[in-house]
Amino acid sequence: MSQPDASEQAGTEQAHEHHDHAGPGYMTPQAAIEESTPERRAYVVANHVGMDVDAPDFVAVVDVDPESGTYGEITDRIDLPNMGDELHHFGWNACSSSCHMGGLERRYLVVPGNRSSRIHVVDTKDRDHPELASVIEPEEVHEHDLSAPHTVHCIGGGTVVISMLGDADGDLPGGFLELDDDLNVQGRWEPPGEIDFNYDYWYQPRHNAMVSSEWAAPKTYQPGFDMDDVEAGNYGHELQFWNWEDRTVEQTLDLGEEGMIPLEVRFLHSPEHAHGFVNAALSSNVFHYWKRDGEWHAEKVIDFEGREMDGWDMPVPALPTDILISMDDRYLFGGNWLHGDVWMYDISDPANPRRADSLSVGGYFGDVQEVQGRELVAGPQMLQLSLDGERLYWTTSLYSTWDNTFFPDEAEQGSVMLKADVNPRRGTMTLDEEFLVDFGEVPEGPARAHEIRWPDGDCTSDVWM
Amino acid sequence: MTGDFQSDSDPVESESDLVEPESDSESEPEPEPESMATVRLRWRDGRGASVTADDEPVLDAAEESGVGLPFGCRTGACGTCTGRLLDGEVVHERPPRALKPHHLDDGYVLTCIAVPTGDCTVEVGTDVQRDLLVNPWQ
Repeated sequence: MSQPDASEQAGTEQAHEHHDHAGPGYMTPQAAIEESTPERRAYVVANHVGMDVDAPDFVAVVDVDPESGTYGEITDRIDLPNMGDELHHFGWNACSSSCHMGGLERRYLVVPGNRSSRIHVVDTKDRDHPELASVIEPEEVHEHDLSAPHTVHCIGGGTVVISMLGDADGDLPGGFLELDDDLNVQGRWEPPGEIDFNYDYWYQPRHNAMVSSEWAAPKTYQPGFDMDDVEAGNYGHELQFWNWEDRTVEQTLDLGEEGMIPLEVRFLHSPEHAHGFVNAALSSNVFHYWKRDGEWHAEKVIDFEGREMDGWDMPVPALPTDILISMDDRYLFGGNWLHGDVWMYDISDPANPRRADSLSVGGYFGDVQEVQGRELVAGPQMLQLSLDGERLYWTTSLYSTWDNTFFPDEAEQGSVMLKADVNPRRGTMTLDEEFLVDFGEVPEGPARAHEIRWPDGDCTSDVWM
Repeated sequence: MTGDFQSDSDPVESESDLVEPESDSESEPEPEPESMATVRLRWRDGRGASVTADDEPVLDAAEESGVGLPFGCRTGACGTCTGRLLDGEVVHERPPRALKPHHLDDGYVLTCIAVPTGDCTVEVGTDVQRDLLVNPWQ
């Protein structure tokens, strides 16, 4: 495939004719809020891997337009050619980081299989009926001694960098794989030897910065969570701060015991800010990181206490497995997967987040355990927020083997996608019980859904140069 | 069963090559090559299947017979394909990184890299991998 010329761009992004930029996305985060229209469809990855369903994983097109007759339904699917991929995170060939790049458009979704190391490219030229455009086979990835693709970011100009959690054997070290502007494998992005563990990353070009986080080697996390691996030091607890242009690690911050398994790294959206947040999932804390006088710092700013469960050996940790920042940089949203909480914190003072509201839904302790009569089975996991900050959606599956450990019923019932209405002026959330997408009803058998993306940019993929 | 066994010779194929493709010989069964192993697959819901492995991993042999088994990485890292050896012997052709020593001691194998050395029986299905999962807080 080749990236299209500017003449093909009409109709995919919203209201760009009023601006002097010719590329995809929005000039600023505030422009994304003002110019975007409410999302009408979502792309959601869904998996059968690890379940008794002999079918490939797929990308679902979900109708999220309340005016539509198919609201809350999966209206189309891109079935992938192989089984066993475990789709997890995915991203675009171009976003707002290319908003000055004429001739580019946000059109191709890069959809890796975290288990298979197979990378799919989906063409969303027809937003309602995307099609599989090409496939990078695992051997092409292994050739660069990499495996287990995770976070996909375009880095401007149509090229893509994917964080890779392991080497070709599924062991350490991980690294980064670069795709060229035709979305073929270019090679390794960084010089070898910069990191061991890897997971998520985000870049903030005006500060010449990138931050990456740490899960574990594929051979450790893929078979499932084992406390022995934590005790053996097989899980990460550091943040790596990179020189974005040089592609080298400049500073490592060890978050220590309170920062075990730092997952999603989210810079504030304003390209001027050198502040961000990361959720230390296992320690059930959120850290604020920031740059001052040329040095990066990190400090725990939110701490979720474990809760006692009758008859269980130890207090159950909250396990906040995902966070995101609203496009206006006012709120940090997150979900505590085990406890069953969705929360929003006011981060107008990033060093001192203030709890604004939360919902108790799903998980082990949620007050709401079913929606429209559908048992929720698991807790809130992957989140996505509308660009205007008024609708928060989430799915309930983390990773097949971890689901099978902590919420085993999900293997038979599948996962769900839920929604809350958010009042970003009052700092409140309300569960919208009219909305439910039941991935347990997929014809081939139950599926588990993970990351959510909007066709025209969202709060976890767009970066500004 | 965990050695880095990799067969580098295959006398079976050379024997097969000598067989003349005579159309009137269908009543005479071809001799079963020595390295062909019969793999009996057993699911916990009572299903069963029997496939033939020609010096290849159990997963490949099953796929060639149109039998679907769970799998993920196909390199021995992710454990999605975990089965349990009930009878016979297999050799992992790469290090079975997804399994810990106590899993190997208990007979768990990775069908994506486990090559039978003779006839064997393997318990398969996604529920076998779930044996290895323990909620540490429960």
